This record gives sequence, C-alpha cells and structure tokens, in this order.
Amino acid sequence: MESLVTILVFAPLLGAVLAGVLGKRGDSKPAMAVATVLLFLSAGLSWGVFYQTAWHELEPFVVRIAPFISVGDFQSAWSIRVDTLSAVMLVVVTTVSALVHLYSWGYMAEDGGRSRFFSYLSLFTFAMLMLVTAADFMQLFFGWEGVGLASYLLIGFWFHKPTANAAAIKAFVVNRVGDFGFALGIMTVFWMFGSIEFAEVLPRVGEFARTEWAFAGAQWRALDIACLLLFVGAMGKSAQFFLHTWLPDAMEGPTPVSALIHAATMVTAGVYMVCLLAPMFELAPQAKQIVTIIGAVTALFAATVGLAQNDIKRVIAYSTCSQLGYMFFAAGVGAYQAAMFHLFTHAFFKALLFLGAGSVIHGMHHEQDMRRMGGLMRYLPLTFAAMTIGNIAIAGFGVPHVFGFAGFYSKDSILEAAYAAGQENPTAMFAFIVGVLVAGLTAFYSFRLAFMTFNGPAVWKHEADAGHGLKAAAHHPDDHATAAQNESHSEPDVSEHGGAHGDHDHTPHESPWTMLVPLGVLSVGAIFAGFVFHERFFGEEQAEFWRSAMRPDRVLFPESTSRLLEEAHHVPEWVLWSPTVASLIGLAAAVFIYLLRRGMGARIAANAGPLWTFFYNKWFFDELYHFVFVRGAAKLGELFWKRGDRDTIDKLGPNGLAALSYFGGRRLVRIQTGFLYHYAFVMLLGVAGLLTYALFAFGAVE
Amino acid sequence: MIPASSLAEALGLAAPELILAVSAMLILVGGAFGGRGSSGVASLSAVAALIGAAVAAAWGDQGVAFRGGFIADDMAAFAKAAIYAASAVAVVLGERWLGRAGNAQFEFPVLILIAALGMGMMASAGDLIHLYVGVELHSLALYVLAAFQRDDARSSEAGLKYFVLGALSSGLLLYGASLIYGFAGSVRFDDIARATAALEGEGTGVLFGLVFVICGLAFKVSAAPFHMWTPDVYEGAPLPMVAFFTTAPKMAALVVLARLLYEGFPEAVDQWRQVVLIVALISMAVGAFAGLAQRNLKRLLAYSSISNMGYALLAISAGTAGGIEGLLIFMVLYMVDSLGLFACLIAANRAGRSMENIGDFSGLSRVNMPLAVTVTVLALSIAGIPPMAGFWAKYFFAFQPAIEAGLWGPAAFGLLTGVVAAFYYLRLVKTIWFDPAPGEADVPPLDAKLIAYASAIWAFPVFYVVVSLIEPYAAQAGRSLGLS
Amino acid sequence: MVASIAFYVLAAATLLSGLAVVMSRNPVHSVLFLIAAFFSAAGLFVLLSAEFLAMLLVVVYVGAVAVLFLFVVMMLDVDFAQLREGFAKYLPLGGVIAGLLAIEMIVVSAAVVTRGAASGVRDVPAPAADATNAEVIGRVLYTDFAFLFQAAGMVLLVSMIGAIVLTLRHRPGVRRQNVHDQVNRTRAQGVSVIGAPTGVGIPDDLPQAARTPAE
Repeated sequence: MESLVTILVFAPLLGAVLAGVLGKRGDSKPAMAVATVLLFLSAGLSWGVFYQTAWHELEPFVVRIAPFISVGDFQSAWSIRVDTLSAVMLVVVTTVSALVHLYSWGYMAEDGGRSRFFSYLSLFTFAMLMLVTAADFMQLFFGWEGVGLASYLLIGFWFHKPTANAAAIKAFVVNRVGDFGFALGIMTVFWMFGSIEFAEVLPRVGEFARTEWAFAGAQWRALDIACLLLFVGAMGKSAQFFLHTWLPDAMEGPTPVSALIHAATMVTAGVYMVCLLAPMFELAPQAKQIVTIIGAVTALFAATVGLAQNDIKRVIAYSTCSQLGYMFFAAGVGAYQAAMFHLFTHAFFKALLFLGAGSVIHGMHHEQDMRRMGGLMRYLPLTFAAMTIGNIAIAGFGVPHVFGFAGFYSKDSILEAAYAAGQENPTAMFAFIVGVLVAGLTAFYSFRLAFMTFNGPAVWKHEADAGHGLKAAAHHPDDHATAAQNESHSEPDVSEHGGAHGDHDHTPHESPWTMLVPLGVLSVGAIFAGFVFHERFFGEEQAEFWRSAMRPDRVLFPESTSRLLEEAHHVPEWVLWSPTVASLIGLAAAVFIYLLRRGMGARIAANAGPLWTFFYNKWFFDELYHFVFVRGAAKLGELFWKRGDRDTIDKLGPNGLAALSYFGGRRLVRIQTGFLYHYAFVMLLGVAGLLTYALFAFGAVE
Repeated sequence: MIPASSLAEALGLAAPELILAVSAMLILVGGAFGGRGSSGVASLSAVAALIGAAVAAAWGDQGVAFRGGFIADDMAAFAKAAIYAASAVAVVLGERWLGRAGNAQFEFPVLILIAALGMGMMASAGDLIHLYVGVELHSLALYVLAAFQRDDARSSEAGLKYFVLGALSSGLLLYGASLIYGFAGSVRFDDIARATAALEGEGTGVLFGLVFVICGLAFKVSAAPFHMWTPDVYEGAPLPMVAFFTTAPKMAALVVLARLLYEGFPEAVDQWRQVVLIVALISMAVGAFAGLAQRNLKRLLAYSSISNMGYALLAISAGTAGGIEGLLIFMVLYMVDSLGLFACLIAANRAGRSMENIGDFSGLSRVNMPLAVTVTVLALSIAGIPPMAGFWAKYFFAFQPAIEAGLWGPAAFGLLTGVVAAFYYLRLVKTIWFDPAPGEADVPPLDAKLIAYASAIWAFPVFYVVVSLIEPYAAQAGRSLGLS
Repeated sequence: MVASIAFYVLAAATLLSGLAVVMSRNPVHSVLFLIAAFFSAAGLFVLLSAEFLAMLLVVVYVGAVAVLFLFVVMMLDVDFAQLREGFAKYLPLGGVIAGLLAIEMIVVSAAVVTRGAASGVRDVPAPAADATNAEVIGRVLYTDFAFLFQAAGMVLLVSMIGAIVLTLRHRPGVRRQNVHDQVNRTRAQGVSVIGAPTGVGIPDDLPQAARTPAE
C-alpha cells in the first residue's frame, strides 16, 4: 500500500517532467499521452485508496520519504499522510485532474504549447498532492506555494496576452498576502508547540487552550491568533472576501485550468486546511466566529455579483467563490464533515460546469460573452444536457428523504448544521439565513446562465450576418466595468494553427469525444455523489468514516463536532425544505426574466440601476483596491524610490562614494608624475612616516 | 633543523641554487658560441634547469648550512618551487615574445635564471647578508630585464627608474640591516631573536632597523608608499618581463620578510605588526583607488598588484603559522591569476599592436570568444568573485588568518577596498562583453594563448583540486617558522 | 690618544667629504670628494686594524670605481645647474623631511651606541696574533661564506651581462678586428704578384680579388 501511494503521488511529477522533456521535440502527442496516462494511473490508485478507506476501513498511515529541513527543533520531512481527509482530497484532485487532462486533448487541440500545458497541469497536480498528503506544516506550505506557482504559470499560459499576464501577477500577489499570514501562522505554531508536525501539534492543542498573549494592550488567546493567521492563508488561496479579487481574473487562463485549479482543487485548499486543523479551530472560538462571518459574507457577496456578470466563465467563477463561502461557514460553525462533503460534491458539479462552459466556448469559437450566445440547445445537445445536470446539482434540487443531486445533500448538510449551531450561536444563525438566501440566488444565476446560453434567440447568427461590427457595440453597457473585465471576454483565437476551426464557420458545433467523456463522467458524479456518500460523510456512519493517521485516538474531528452533527440530524422539517424552496423561487425568477419575458434581463442591464451597477462592478472592490493599495503602494514606493533611495541613499551612499572614490583615485594618480625625484621623495616620506610612528609607538621617545 | 656537517653536505642543501648557477653559466658560454640563433635552445635549457631546481627544492634534503645563513626548510621549498615555476613560465612567454619583437637573445633566459637564483636565496636566507645578496642579485637581473627592449625609449626609462629607485631601497635595506646588527651583534635571524629577547625592555631600539628593512622589502613587493616605480615600470617594460616582475620577485620578498619577522622578531609581534599593517592598509587603499582612474591595462594591473600585496601583507601581519600558510597559498593563486592576465595581454593584439588600453578590449567577445572568456574568468578571479580562485585566495587565505589573529578591522578595510577594486575589473569585463568592437583582433600567439587558457582553467575549477593538494605543504611550511 | 685624534679627524673628513659630494656644483668635484671620502674611510679601517680592507677600499673603489665615475661624468656632460632648477621650490618640504629623517637617524644611531650589542665594549678585539688580516678573511670567505662569495660573483656576472645586453650592438658594416682570421692568413691570401707592363700600370680590368687582397 505504501509503495502504491508513493507512485500515486509521484506519477504526476514524472508526467510533468516527461511532458516537459518530450515536448521539446516537435510532436506534442507523446508528451500529452504520457502525462495523461500517468494521471489516470494516479486517479485509479486514488480510488483504490479511497475505496479501502471508505468501505474497508483501511488504517491510516504515514509514509516517510526523506528528511526535508532539520534545524534544531525544527524538523520537517517529506512524507505522505493517508487518512480519510487526504483520501477524499486524493480522489477529488486526481479524478478531476485526469478528466481535465483528457478534456484538454480536445480543448487545446489547436494550441502550439500543448506539451507545456500538460506539463504544467501535471506539475500542479503533483504540488496539490504534496499539499494534501503533508504530514507537517512545512510540506503543507511547500505544496501551498507549489500550487500557487503552477496556478501562476497556467493563468499566464497565454503569456503573449497582456491581460493574462496581469491576471497571473494579480493572482500571485494577492496570494502573497495570504501566504504571509500563513507563514506567520506556521511560525506561531512552531513557537507555541516547538514542532510543526501535525502528529505532535494536534494532540497537544488542549494544553494551550488557555494560553494568552498580551499584544497591543490586550489579551489574546494564543490559539485564536494562530488560527486567524492560518486562516488568512486559507482566505488567499480560497479567494474569500477581501482576498477574492484574483479569482475572477484568473479566468484568463484556459478553461480546463479554471475547472481544475480554480474550481475543484486548489481553491479548496483553504477549506481543507481548516478541516485538517479542526482540533485547533475547535479551541479557538474567536477564530471560528470570523471564519463563519467571512464565509457567509463571501457566499452572499459572490452570489450577488454572479447575478450581473455576462462572461460565462466569470459567472461560474463567482459561483465558485460563493460555494467556497458555504464550505467556510460550515467549518466555522463546527461542521467540518459538512464542509468536506460540500467540497467533495462541489468538485464534481463545478468542474462539470466549467468544462461544459469550456465546451460552449469551444463550440462558439472562443466566444465567452453570454449576450452573444443563445439558442445553443440545438447545436450542442450533449453539452446542454451536462450543463443542465450541473446547474441542477449546484442549485441543490432534490426532495428531502427521497433523492437529490449532489449539491442538494451537501448544501442541506451545511444548512442543517448551521441551524443546529445557531440555537446557541447567533453568528451561525446569521450564516444559516444567508445560506438559505444564497441558495435562491444560486439557482437564479445558474439558470440565468443556462437560459442565456442555450435558450432564446441565436444572437450569434445576426452577428455573423452583420459582421464583427456588433462585437464592439455589444459592449456598451460595460461602462463601469474595469479594464480587465472588458478585455477578457474572449480567449485568443488560435484557429490559425489549423484544425477544424480553419474554415471560420461561425456555426457552433458539438465538441469532440475527448471533451464529452469527461462531461459524462462528471455528470454521473454530479448526480450521484451526494446520494451515495451522504451517510459516510455526514450521516450515521461519519464517526467511523473520519479517521486520522495523526492522532492516537484516530479521530479527525473533535468530539464536539459529532455532537453538533447529531443535533443537525434532528432539526425541524422546515429547515430541510427551506433551501429547496429558496432554490425553486430562484429558478422561477430566472424562468420569468430570461424565458417568459424575453429581453427583460437586457433591459435591466441597460437601465443600469444602482443595485445592478453595484453588483455588476463586483461591489467596486477592484476600484477600491486599485485606489487604496495599488495606487497607494505605487505612491509610497515612488516616495521611497525617488526621495528615499535615489535622492538620499544613492546620493550619499553608492553614487556619492563612487564619485568620491573616483575623485580620490584621480588625485592619487596625479602624484604619479613620472619624475624620479618625486618618486624617491614619496619613498622617503614613507620611511620618515613609518619611522616617526615607530619612534613614538615603540616608546623610544619618552 | 640540522646544521650541515661538511661543505659537501652544505652544497647538497643548496642544490637548487647550484643547478641554476651552473646552468646559467653553461647557457651563457653556449650562447656566446652559438650566437643569436641559440636563444631557443638556451630558453629550453633554462626551463629544464628551472624544473630541475624546483624538483631539487621540493624533494631535496632539508637543513641549515653556512653558519645558519642558508636554510632549506618546508617554507623555502614551497616558495622556491613556486618561484621557479613562475620563472619557467616567464622564460617561455618572454622567449616567444622577444622572438616576435625581433630581439631574441640568449641572455634573456640567463638573466631569468640568475634572478631565480637570487630569489631562491631570499627564500632560504637565514641571515641579513644572504637576504641582501639575494635581493641585489635578483634586482640587478630585473633592472636589465625591464630595459631589455633597449631601442624602446619607454623600456629604457622603465629600467632606469627601476634601477635608481631600487638602489635607494637597497640603501634603506642595508642601513636597516646595519642598525639591526648594531643592536643585536649578529646578522643571523635566530641570534637576533635571542639578542632581542635578552635585551628585554631595551629591545625596542632594534625595531628601528627593522622598520628600514621593512621599507626596503616593501619596495620590492611594490607596497605603498614604496610603490611609485610600479606603474611606470609596468607600463614601460616588455609584457613578459612585467608578468615575471609581478609574480616571482614578490613571492620571494614576502617570504623573506615573513622569515625575518617570524624568526628574527618573534617577541615583537605586536610592534612589527603595526608597521606591516600600516603598509598593508595604505597599499590596499592606493591600489584600489588609484586603479579607478587608469585606462592603461598595464598600469591598472600595477595597481592591482599593489592592492594584492596589501592583502598578502595582511596575512603576514597575522603573526601565526596560519598567516604563513595563507600567505603562501594566496601568493600561488595570485601568481597564476597574474601570469594568466599578462598572457592574455600578450595574446591580445590588433594590427600588430598590443591591446594596452581598456578601450582596446571593446567587444573582444565578438572578435575572439575564447580569449574574452579567459580574460573574464581571470578578471573575476582577481576581483575576488566566487567561485573563482581569487575569491578563496582573498577571503580564505589572506583575510581569515588576520581575522583569527583579531585583526578584523584591517580585514574589513581590505574587504571595502576589494569592493572598490572590483570596479575596474568589472569595467574590463563589461567592456569586453557589451561594447562594440572597433575591429578584428590578430590571431593570438600559441604560447600566450595556452598559458592564458591554462590559468583560466586553473582559476576555475582546477584550483579546487590543486589547493587541496598543496594545502598540507603550505601548512607544514607555516609551522616551520618560529611562531605557532 | 693618537688613535682617538686620528679617528675624529678621519671621521670628520669622511662626513664632510660626503656632504661635499652632494653639495658641490661641479660633478667632477663631486667625484673627487667621493674619492676623498673613500680615502678617509680607508683610514678608519686602518684604525680598526683592518688593513686588508683598507687597501681593498683604496684599490677597488678609488682605483677603479671612482675613476670610472670620473670618466662617465666627464663624458656625459650633464648640466647639473639645470637639474637644480626646482631646488628652491622643493626646499621647504624637502628640508623638513630631510631634517626629520636626519634627526631620526641620529636618535636611532645614538640608541645603537648606547644600547647596542657593542655598547659596553671599549676596545676593538685584536686579530689573532698568528694570522694576517688576509688570512683571517680568507679562512671564512672560502668556508662559511663560500656560498655568499659565489653569490657575490654572480652579482658581478649579472652586471656584466646586463651591461653587454643593454649596450652591445652588432651593427652591420662595421669592421672589427678578427684575430683568428688575422693569424690564420696565409701568404697566398694576402699577396698576389701582378706583372705590370712598364709604362702602362695596372690594367683596369684586374680581378676584384687581386685588388683587395686583405679581404
């Protein structure tokens, strides 16, 4: 088992290297094939591990591979930790990654840098696997930075596109903020516990439950501080409120990347980390409150923004943001199982939605603006079916106690837990209310997307008739949008590389099988993942399911969470129904606005009411950040650079010294007259000087 | 050290000197009969003699001869091997260069042999007379070498300046020696040490003589403020001669200075250290700052050697066995770098003229890539940039002993001047790689090219191996002196 | 007593002569003063019972070196007045340094006298009664100092080589005496008998060899 797990983790790294090396030689097919096959191998092994864990109650274990850092007490090792938590993540990561690899065969068919793309994808997968199987904070951080790097490379994959570069840099920089907090958190943990290994830290959290530090005139609970700092890292990586701005821009990357990194895997790393550190968070009530509030606010905020976006990928991106908010407030109220459950199901339906959107974009010749779609049901029937399944899943339709799509179970779990926790905790009740509201909004924006894309008049037809002139005209309601948004409505037209798109036929077409197979597989997941795994993740069998390799009692989540889940199973019936009802209301609104009253949506957009403008411009976060941080930092930097560095330090320091040295050198050289008697004189001066010094220093002259 | 019991044994200890003297005279006689055409054979024989002498020095017997005036120990062996090797390289470079200049004479290898003989005497000197005779013997040969291109006014001027100032320094040396003798009643280093120790508090007077001797030897190593001859002589003298001046004589003078200080004045470390440090600090500063304003590469290298001598004196001033070890290895690495750089200068010609100014090297990388790389490696090495040899030479072998002896202030000063000096090496590198080339360069002569390449390869990475091989010998040499 | 008087007279003469070497305006006078200094120094050697050295000094330095100097100075025709042009300009600074050095050297020399190795010794140790000066020197010169002696020889050799290298020129077209050729010349090479008709003289078309027999 240990060697299999090792192969599982390192196969993608091998794939990345081989793809990078093989890709150098003209034909990229071998490179792509190697990477894809290795990833499928990895995925197969992951399911094996997960199956063993879920049904055969495989004992958790840790594989030590090699020492990493060893400085005094600071010990870190490369290791692979296998328990339920990492098994769940292994399945999610490798499955989605494998499907995305396959999908990319079709989606990236015309791109010149395919082998590079596959190499990056595999590299990302490896980094993500290092992250989820970490046995100490150091490796967690390594994986954390590794996925950040891979994300940077993939967002900026089309590096000749300025917006893609800008987005890649934005993602990297915003993540730096989070990583800074994360690193501080790790240091705090090391300071408190003298160790960074989960196996040593987590069982001992109880000792520090009452430790307090005085800082800035107030008493702070040590665990609160540590958890908050770590949570800042999670906020960055999972694009939570305040640090969310990079995620929508990250849609500049190719769509398979969005599906893999910015929906299913990397952005959930923050949730995963909070769940992994559940014992710490359970003893940090302040931190938990903040996690809950941030999660709830993000869920609401992202959902409202998603209502007004026109770019198909951006809608899904905000939806991701919103669903991550769900997961965080679930963790915040103490229902880590529910958070992980939603993470698991969300991976399926969100990857499905992204890949479906990718299929649409592919079919529409790299058009991403939903206003120029419409009526695609006829042309892309399979994609339509997959997208509809995804939409139903994310909206959470289902009949309680009977059957529902994946999102129904996980979202209901979260809301039940929030309600149960809300009996004593007003914050949790706030989260519950927000959650129900957001469920409705989710249904609305999901079906708005579906209707604008697949129903209604085929706008693209008129456009093709009228030539490309409309393309610019269609942008007029975007007056308040940021530059980045305006420029990002299409992926680069790479059709000149030849292939099926060479004819410039604007009739949408269905995608090749390599793209449809992943859609099919994910559809199955989106339908059944909730139904099949509900009991194990959240229901009666959860206590047996969640086992840890790191604790003597082999329990991942503290006792208190099990009690919470117990209560969550006995909430009033109306709580069970409330999200479903909210979703139905959302659906009805979408049907009314985008199906029955055709054009009403466009009219609302054209009127640009204050609320719509507010949502459309993403609550003006980009503007605010640009004004405060970007311009402020630039001003500050300019001040330091011009006044501080150039005028003060450089002038007095390097440049001044250099000028002085040069001047001194010239003076010294002027002694070098070429006259012998000058030289002899200098020598005698030296003798006289040294002798005088000696006479005085050695005490001959008293 | 075992004193030699018979003249035969004593002469056995002096085998390297005998080899050099006898071959010098044989070559002279052979050359007188062979005429001008015999310079090639003469040079070849001289190289063979130098190699033979080096072997004899390295593996010969050790002991003391001629009433303590001649010492064959580990330090002498190490220094002699290095001096003779550098001399052999100078013979090769010079013979070919003079041949190209139409001035091939068989006297050239003879003069180098005699110079090497004198330098060997300095390395083995156990008393002040041997020291002085060694200094004079090699100096006279060097004066002639500087003026060797007698039809070139600059060369004659260089020879004359060197000679006159050298005479002045000899006077200082002799005056100092007589003062020391006057105080100590003996010219032998060990007697001086004994007499100084016996004088106790009264002994400080003997140090005034030492100051003069230090001044005289500082002239030989071109340490400031006795450096004034260096730029002019370097600029005027023929290139291979300068390559010789900047290597072997400095090694010899530093070694004999170290021996005089360590064996003659072990009780007065704190006093002479101050004098040596003053000279070292002034040298570092002058070499670094005055070099900034130089455009002529030969003058530039003169200043470079001045500042490097500062580092070498810093190692001596440590007053420990580690200081000697550092000095010896520093000098070996410095000698290879210098020889390589001068070989590059010999190799770099445009339209028959030597590229003497920095500007001449513009765009060398586009004209002659291997040479450009060689110059770059050597310049970076002598600038003390890792991972080249010069970095280790400077920081590990020159500064570290000083720091271990508590002289961190001077070491820090050396570091600063090293930064200043790095400017002119890096400017050369920049000129080579980034400036436009004014025209094609001539095909470099084979000998200079090979020696330059070999030095560059030595500077990185071969020296890593070599240093680990010679380090034990240098350490042994360091322990052979009085101070531990 | 006589020795003391002689010492002071000779020492003063040496110093004054030395000063005059540097100060005199005429270089020929300088050399003559140098010779005077050598003579005085030789006298000092005699006072120290080092007669051999005294004679050497006179023979070598006065007889050879100083006379050579004299020739060189006379031949070179150096205008010393011109060399002294900047004298006044450099005098203040130069004077200060010179004065400083002089004081320091006096202090140091005084220290040697009062505290040096020989400070307590009043009399010069007499040479061994059974050996002459030359014998004593010879004994150490060829044993303990054999190496130095040879090295000093090398110093002279290198000076000679240097002088030759720097000055000897093989100019083409310069006729030099070749003793070997001269000695080995035969009558056949040197003499040719030509029958010259009376009243006509030697004909113009005579072969070249006959015209220049010495070649």
